[in-house]
Amino acid sequence: MIELNDIVVSYRTGRGSINAVDGVNLQIPEGCIVGIAGESGCGKSTLMRAIYGDILSPMSLSSGTIEYGFNDSSGKPVTSENVRDEWFKTLSYIPQSSMNSMNPVIRIREQFIDFPGTDPNKKRVLEKVREYIGKLGLPAEALDSFPHQLSGGMRQRMMIALATFFQPNLIIADEPTTALDVVVQKEILLLLMELQEQMGNTILIVSHDMGVHYQVTHKMLIMYAAKAAEYGDSDSVFAEPLHPYTKMLIGSLPTIGEDRARHGIPGSPPSLWGDLHGCRFAERCPLATGLCRSQEPPLVEHKPGHFAACHFAGADLPDTGDAGWQ
Amino acid sequence: MGVLTFIAKRIALYFAVLFIGLSITFALPRFMPVNPIDGYIGELQSRASATIAPEGLAELRKSLEELYGLQGSVFEQYLAYMKRVVIDFDFGPSYTYFPHPVSSMLAEALPWTMGLLMTATVIAWCLGNTVGLVAGYFYKKRAASILEFVGILLYPIPYYILAISVLMIFAYIFPIFPLSATFPVGDMTWAKVGTILYNSLLPGLALVLAGFGWNILSMKALAIATSEEPYVTFARLKGTTHRTRMLRYVFRNALLPQVTALALSLGVIFNGALLTEIIFSYPGIGLIMRQAASGGDYNVLYGAITVSIIAVATAGLLIDLAYPLLDPRIRHK
Repeated sequence: MIELNDIVVSYRTGRGSINAVDGVNLQIPEGCIVGIAGESGCGKSTLMRAIYGDILSPMSLSSGTIEYGFNDSSGKPVTSENVRDEWFKTLSYIPQSSMNSMNPVIRIREQFIDFPGTDPNKKRVLEKVREYIGKLGLPAEALDSFPHQLSGGMRQRMMIALATFFQPNLIIADEPTTALDVVVQKEILLLLMELQEQMGNTILIVSHDMGVHYQVTHKMLIMYAAKAAEYGDSDSVFAEPLHPYTKMLIGSLPTIGEDRARHGIPGSPPSLWGDLHGCRFAERCPLATGLCRSQEPPLVEHKPGHFAACHFAGADLPDTGDAGWQ
Repeated sequence: MGVLTFIAKRIALYFAVLFIGLSITFALPRFMPVNPIDGYIGELQSRASATIAPEGLAELRKSLEELYGLQGSVFEQYLAYMKRVVIDFDFGPSYTYFPHPVSSMLAEALPWTMGLLMTATVIAWCLGNTVGLVAGYFYKKRAASILEFVGILLYPIPYYILAISVLMIFAYIFPIFPLSATFPVGDMTWAKVGTILYNSLLPGLALVLAGFGWNILSMKALAIATSEEPYVTFARLKGTTHRTRMLRYVFRNALLPQVTALALSLGVIFNGALLTEIIFSYPGIGLIMRQAASGGDYNVLYGAITVSIIAVATAGLLIDLAYPLLDPRIRHK
């Protein structure tokens, strides 16, 4: 189980410090695919970077701890302190742009062995990799080619091979399918799900594509303005969202066979620079009351395993009156 | 496109460039309003107070024309010129050092110029790129800006000022090197090689300092841009060491434009020859060209220009042939 204990991730800027992730508490059970969704700037990528341990100035983990629930090779538990030594050993990363995430001038096989990794015998590693990529539907020769010789889909498969062949406990995928067309996107997602089922590890996927989340994830985290708004099993979150933001987010998605007019969420998220008090969604929320504007709602378990940070969790949204459309 | 087709095309282009270059070299002096033979005969006449008989003059003109390849129509001259230059590498005799052939003068001077300038250019390139790479890769660190400062400091200083300063400092203020070096000629012995190397250090140093700054600045800019590439970021997230990322990721990618720059600077090394050879009294092709230009020694000029054309074209050819080795995207097109 991965535990995020009240983590605050801030960026130091010329105007002072800003919290891009502001007190997130989360428990992610082992062996599930967790999707993280939210608007641009909600802190989902920052949260991912913090979990991966890629914390470089001006970013810093100003408070809170992360416990990963697995041990390094010496048996020591992995925490936010030593996670950087575990890169591509017990946790790995799938980048967004497979197009330029491989060095164009060296052969792909070299890029499988140029990091410390788990096995110092690089020859043996390559043999294993050669065998492994076959299972992922890649020809063995692909390993001896240069990145520009592969198609976009093959390259992303290769990135997934690179991130999974050493069987990590945790994989972090930052918009892994954004640059691909929908057909390849589906193949890649199915591959990821299949691998996850075989290995039983945890995958965190950041995506702004709710369709991807619906297809792939077991659990969903909805973030809003640096905070967790809702967290729970994907089925439950999609079927019965509790937070008005999640409701409106899902309500804005098109479905086949329904010709209802779609509504965006009016307004925009609050500036993280401002004086933030009360619920951060209150300004855009049709249910907001004085309570919401003065008191910040905590993330509470409303149903088993389904958390939401809302004073009126589960309440119906008023009818937005789209009758005028028809 | 196969590798062989690529090489064949590139070599064909090389010969086309040489052909055009040689043709222009042939044509240019012929557009000039003066005829070198008229000038020569006029000079002889005035020296001999116009006592040479017209038959003698006609004979003289004929043999001079033959000697300088000026008989017949322009087209016949062109064919004869191409034949001489391409097949025999013969530019005729020097006018000033008559009858010393131009080709042997060039052959004596070339190793000096090439040896000094090529070595200095390559050293400046290697040093500049190393410093630039480190400065660019660690551009957020304060120490890196000190390295860049070296480049900013050296780059704008004109070469002649740098050369004279080096000479002042290391030959006059601290007399480590001779102010006016001598370079032994004739058969080489180890002692002579030692003297030559020692005396070449100062001109070499000036050349390296002059070429070094630009290499630092351009490599630094390339290294910064490359280290922001997604593949470098991803390599960092894989847990690769700084060394791996700097050499295999940043350097290997930033190297490509720098190789082109090296080829171009090797092609134009003769530009730097003149000043170096005058300031450091170094025997080479620059001095020969200067004498030829001031003495109206056309044949020597033709020869020197032809050698420059060949050098530039050859440098370009070699780099183009080497490029696929460095960049697989060209190799596997």
